[in-house]
Amino acid sequence: MRTQAVAGIVFANSHDENLEPLTRVRSMASVPIGGRFRLIDFALSSFVNAGITNVGILVKSNYRSLMDHIENGVSWDLDRKIGGIRILPPFNEKGMRRYEGYIEALYGAIDFIKRCNSDNVVLYDGCVVGNFDLTSAIAFHNEKQADVTVLYKMIENYRNDIGAMTFSYNLEGRITDAAFPKVFKGRAATSFGVMIFKRDVLLPLLKNAYEMGLKHIEKDVIAENLSSLKVYAFEHKGFAAVMDSEDAYCKANMALLMREVREDLFTKERPVYTKIRDDMPTRYGLSSKIGNSFVADGCVIEGTVKNSILFRGVKISKGAVVENCILMQGVTVGENANVSYVVSDKNAKIGKGIRINGKENKYIFIEKDKIM
Amino acid sequence: MKKKCVAMLLAGGQGSRLGVLTEKIAKPAVPYGGKYRIIDFPLSNCSNSGIDTVGILTQYKPLELNDYVGSGKPWDLDRIEGGVHILPPYQGQKGGDWYKGTANAIYQNLEFIERYDPELVLILSGDHIYKMDYSEMIKAHEESGAACTIAVFEVPIDEASRFGIMNTNPDGSVYEFEEKPKNPKSQLASMGIYVFSRDKLKKYLTEDDNNPDSSNDFGKNVIPLMLSRGEKLMTYRFGGYWKDVGTVDSLWDANLDLLNPNINFDLSDKSWRIYSRGKAMPPQYISDTAKVENSLITDGCSVAGKVDFSILFENVTVEEGASVEYSLVMPGSVIKSGAKVRYSIISENTVIGENATIGEDPTEVKPGEFGIAVVGGNLKIGKGARVTAAKTVSKDMEGGEVL
Repeated sequence: MRTQAVAGIVFANSHDENLEPLTRVRSMASVPIGGRFRLIDFALSSFVNAGITNVGILVKSNYRSLMDHIENGVSWDLDRKIGGIRILPPFNEKGMRRYEGYIEALYGAIDFIKRCNSDNVVLYDGCVVGNFDLTSAIAFHNEKQADVTVLYKMIENYRNDIGAMTFSYNLEGRITDAAFPKVFKGRAATSFGVMIFKRDVLLPLLKNAYEMGLKHIEKDVIAENLSSLKVYAFEHKGFAAVMDSEDAYCKANMALLMREVREDLFTKERPVYTKIRDDMPTRYGLSSKIGNSFVADGCVIEGTVKNSILFRGVKISKGAVVENCILMQGVTVGENANVSYVVSDKNAKIGKGIRINGKENKYIFIEKDKIM
Repeated sequence: MKKKCVAMLLAGGQGSRLGVLTEKIAKPAVPYGGKYRIIDFPLSNCSNSGIDTVGILTQYKPLELNDYVGSGKPWDLDRIEGGVHILPPYQGQKGGDWYKGTANAIYQNLEFIERYDPELVLILSGDHIYKMDYSEMIKAHEESGAACTIAVFEVPIDEASRFGIMNTNPDGSVYEFEEKPKNPKSQLASMGIYVFSRDKLKKYLTEDDNNPDSSNDFGKNVIPLMLSRGEKLMTYRFGGYWKDVGTVDSLWDANLDLLNPNINFDLSDKSWRIYSRGKAMPPQYISDTAKVENSLITDGCSVAGKVDFSILFENVTVEEGASVEYSLVMPGSVIKSGAKVRYSIISENTVIGENATIGEDPTEVKPGEFGIAVVGGNLKIGKGARVTAAKTVSKDMEGGEVL
């Protein structure tokens, strides 16, 4: 049987706590985004578009919606005999508690990593949106004979409690030092949690880090070993966003209203695959008014919609006005309701004449199935 | 494995009356309703009716249709036992032949049917848009004990001469079949949907095949033959929405019916879903300059112009200043800025150049000269070109050219 050169691992519960209104009922990786996608669609599509068809999904909690979405992987062509997709639930050895840190989580997948027999493993944070050219990143990684290659983006004026890894690198592209600031001004090369590891390097490092009780792969493993490991940096020039706060989630959705972002994320060369639902096309009624909006199939629009992202099957009744909103699958907005700066989770019902108005920097979140 | 009923879907027809629309594809693969193909309707009906074994008889330009059907997964027809089977004409030990007619196509595949040892065979065609529970029809067939049950649809009497008409007794049994009668005696048109008891089907198909003068057609030959032998043929009345999409006008009509609130044909009804082979596509983007009313728009579209009373299939672009009214724009086509598309069908992956005009409003043409304009697939229509009502474009047009 042919061995696959690269295997992929997605961390499904990555930073769940930073997007609490939406991760209460699901894992980060199954958070809906961009009208018809879930975050994990971007990870799986980036994998399969680079020929990575042996994929493990590390899950910890609340992963039923993720499993519903993934099924047997058929939507990403990952229903394979050789490789394919595998959900990796917490694996408790005797006396082990449910994992907390990234290292513990990954250690739970050590059998998957051992067995995959690939030269390289891509570790992929489930909270990032982007269409990454992993083919080029892996070619770069191999050409540099790197132990680790970290994908990064140049970020300006960062502020977040997570404290992403920023770093400097030499002319060769090798990372020379790394830091984890919670705030910085100006531009810095910033990791968004997608990295390629040589498997033979990862396995002993992982075992050792786990036994020492270390938590973070970037902070405790990569940054601590920059002199002994060959860690390289590969720039992703297109769009990338990390869902590390409610604000970041809203901004990433709204970014899709920009042509250059859509053209970067949705290319013919690297399509973004997702589970197909059998919705009919979206129907615009006699009185519909719509502008600058990203709308999935199956919606019925009879009111006014501006600057919004509508997921599948959203219904906007006559006289309703929806502006600057993110409305997920099956949300209904009643006649003459007025909503702005609202993120509504699936199947919420906003009744006739109701007004819900958030602010640009403070969106109002409505829970799944809520009736207002 | 034994199956109670096997469906045979006749999908080999050229659909010559659809002209450029079926130049490269078989009729059942013609796009409909934004994201469907005609064949989605019989396949979804089968799946929803609990029929999981379907033979699809192909002959004319089958490539796209074969790709589209694939393993049958979108219709839940990828089964270990049964499922969809594409059945093209084949060579046997004693040679082989093209399918000579609808009945001959089934006759040549009796071996396929008999593998499942069914009691009943359901014959379907890939020409119609409708939602029908075949299990109800099968039930009626079993209760009546007929040799064959034919689904019929009541058409207006002035249109009846366009159809195959069933003349029936008060109990619904057929005493006469008339193909396109000049003076119709009944309004019951055959829908081309038959339930046969398997043994009777085999018997009469064999007899029909032995007749060198027969054109091997169900309506023209097999049904009259069975009547002449005194077999019991029953009608099964269908009261839902049913539309033949064999001509350009009827295809356009059937699509625009989806926009008509007075017509009860709801594809969003979850109790009887119509499945299709969906593609990975981003949602549609409607820009600030767009004006969209009373239309269906599909994933992957990008609209900056005006769209009114129209259906945009997947990945269609309507640029700023362009307008699309009372028209169908099939997958991947682009309507450049300033272009005007009215009462038209634009086939797949065609570019309508800037300020071109396609089709005309019925009020602008002389009586009798109106018709839907059709532009074929993968064409380029130059800037400012003009296509008048009822014309068909089958090759590229230069800038300013008039047809």
